[in-house]
Amino acid sequence: MSTLVIKDLHVEVGDKEILKGVDLIINGGEVHALMGPNGNGKSTLLSTIMGHPKYKVTQGTITLDGKDLLAMDVDERARAGLFLGMQYPQEIPGITNSDFLRAAMNSRRDTPISLFKFIRTLDKNIAELNMDENLAHRYLNEGFSGGEKKRNEILQMKLLEPSIALLDEIDSGLDIDALHVVSDAINSMRSDDFGCIMVSHYERMFELVQPTHVHVLVSGRIVENGGYELVEKIDNEGYEWIKEKGIEIDEEDFNHGIILGACGKKEQLNNE
Amino acid sequence: MNKYTLSSQFYIVLYNNECIESHLPERVCYHDGVISFYNLSPIEVQIVYLLDKHQSMDVSIEIEKNIEVSIIESRILNVDSKLNRKLLIKADAIVHLFGENDSLDGEITEEVHLLDNAQCQYGYAELSDGNFNGNYRYYLDGEGADAKVRMAILSKMHEDKHYEVLIQHNKPHTFGQMDNYGVVKDEGKLVIDGIGTITKGQSGSASHQNNRIMVFDEKCKASANPFLFIDEYDVKASHAAGVGKMDEEHLYYLQSRGLTKKQAMQLITYGYLRPVIEVIDNDMLKERFEKALAKVGE
Repeated sequence: MSTLVIKDLHVEVGDKEILKGVDLIINGGEVHALMGPNGNGKSTLLSTIMGHPKYKVTQGTITLDGKDLLAMDVDERARAGLFLGMQYPQEIPGITNSDFLRAAMNSRRDTPISLFKFIRTLDKNIAELNMDENLAHRYLNEGFSGGEKKRNEILQMKLLEPSIALLDEIDSGLDIDALHVVSDAINSMRSDDFGCIMVSHYERMFELVQPTHVHVLVSGRIVENGGYELVEKIDNEGYEWIKEKGIEIDEEDFNHGIILGACGKKEQLNNE
Repeated sequence: MNKYTLSSQFYIVLYNNECIESHLPERVCYHDGVISFYNLSPIEVQIVYLLDKHQSMDVSIEIEKNIEVSIIESRILNVDSKLNRKLLIKADAIVHLFGENDSLDGEITEEVHLLDNAQCQYGYAELSDGNFNGNYRYYLDGEGADAKVRMAILSKMHEDKHYEVLIQHNKPHTFGQMDNYGVVKDEGKLVIDGIGTITKGQSGSASHQNNRIMVFDEKCKASANPFLFIDEYDVKASHAAGVGKMDEEHLYYLQSRGLTKKQAMQLITYGYLRPVIEVIDNDMLKERFEKALAKVGE
C-alpha cells in the first residue's frame, strides 16, 4: 500500500502564486475527489505532483512512501508509481500507440515484456475499453476524438498499473456510454494497491466511481473536506455557500470567465 | 576502403570507377560506367558506390520502358570524393529507391530524368558522419512523369551539411513532391534548399514541397529554404518550411509515462522522421530504412 503525502504546498506559475498551502494524504485503497471552481488550482496540484516544469514549488513537500518526489524528474516519479491522466493529452505524430505503450511498460520492468504478452495484454484492454481495434497502429492521440483520448489515458493507466493515479477531468469529452466504460475501468483497479485523486465537475462521475474522501479547493487552499455528501451539496448548490462559511477567499477566483464546454456548463447553470 | 554490407540477392559494387564485385540478374548489365536494366519481372538490386579520398566517379543507370525495379543505393564516400550519378527512367517504368549514406565529407550530384509516365519514389536516409554536400536534381521530361522524394537528414557534432533538391517540370501534367526532414544536434549545421520549377507551357502540373528541421541544441545552425519558380498559370504548387525545437509538452507527456528524457527524445525524433519511410512501397526497403532511422536518436 502506497501513501502520497502533500504538506503545506505552495506553487507559483510565472510570478503568480496558485497553491497557497495544500495539505493532503492519499493512501492506497482510497479515492479522493477534488472539486472546486475553475482556475482555483486543481490541475496545478495534479501537474505539480507529476512534475510539470511550468510549476514552481516555493514551499512545502510531496513524498511518496517517504521518498521526496520533488527531488525526482518526471520520469522517475512515473517509475516510482505515479500516473497522471491528463486533461489534454498530447498528440504526437509518427509514434504509434503500440511503440509508445511498449516503451512505457518496459521503462518500469527489469526485462522487456515479450511481444506476445504485450499484444495479448493490449488487445484485452482495448476490447475492455471498447476502443478502436486499429488503435495500436495509429499515431499517439493524433486525430483522436476527445473521448478516444481520454480512453487512451485510461488504457495507459491500466497497462502501467500505478500505485497512485491522478485523473484530471478524465470524464470531460466522454459520452454516457464511454463514461460507464471508463468508470468501470477505474473501479476495476480499486484495491489496497491503488490510490487515486480525481478532478471532476460532475456528480455523475463520482456516482459511478464513489470517492472515499472529497475535498474542495478554492483560492489555492483546501477549504472543505468530507464524504460523498459534499459532492451532492455542490451538485445542488454550487460553490457560493463556501463564501458564507466565512472562509477567506479571493473574490477574483470566483469570477473567472466561463469556459464553454465541459466544465463551464455547471457554472453557467449555477450563475443563472 | 570502407566496409559495406550486402543485403540483396543481386548487387554490384563500384569502387573508384571499377566494378569489383557483382551478381546481377539476367537482363541487367554493367558496362563502362553504365548499369542497364532490361529485366522483365520486378527485381531488387543493391548498388554500392565506394570512393577513396580525393577520388571521383561517374555512373549512369538506365531503366528501360515498362520495367519495375527496386534499387538500394549504398553510398560510401571518403574525404573530398565526388560521385556523379545519372538515372534515366524511360516511359512507363517504375523505380523505387532507397539510399543510405555512410560517407565522410563527400559530395554527390544526382541527375534523374523521367520520361512519359515514368514513376520514381526515392527515400533518402542521410545519416552519414562528417560534412556532406548533396545535389539531387529531378527532371520530369515526359508527360505524366511522377517523382516523389523524401529525405531524412541528421547533422550532429560539428558536421556541416547542405542539400539541394530540385524537381523541374519540363512537360505538362507532371507531378513532383518532396518532403525533406532534418534533425540537427550538438553543433551541427544543416541547410536544405528545396526548389520546384515549372517551366512555361507545363499546364496541369503540380509541384509540392515540405522542408522541416528540428533543432536540439543551442549551438545548432539550421535553415530550410523553399523556392518555387512557376512560369505557367494552370498549375498547382505549394511549399512549406519550418525550423523549430522539440515540443516540450511532448517530452513531458512521454516522460510522465516513465520514459527517460533520452528515450523520449529518441522516440519523438524517430516519429518525426518516420514519414520518410512511408514514401517506400517495398516492405524490405521500409524495414531497412526503419533500422537506419532507429540510430538517429542515439
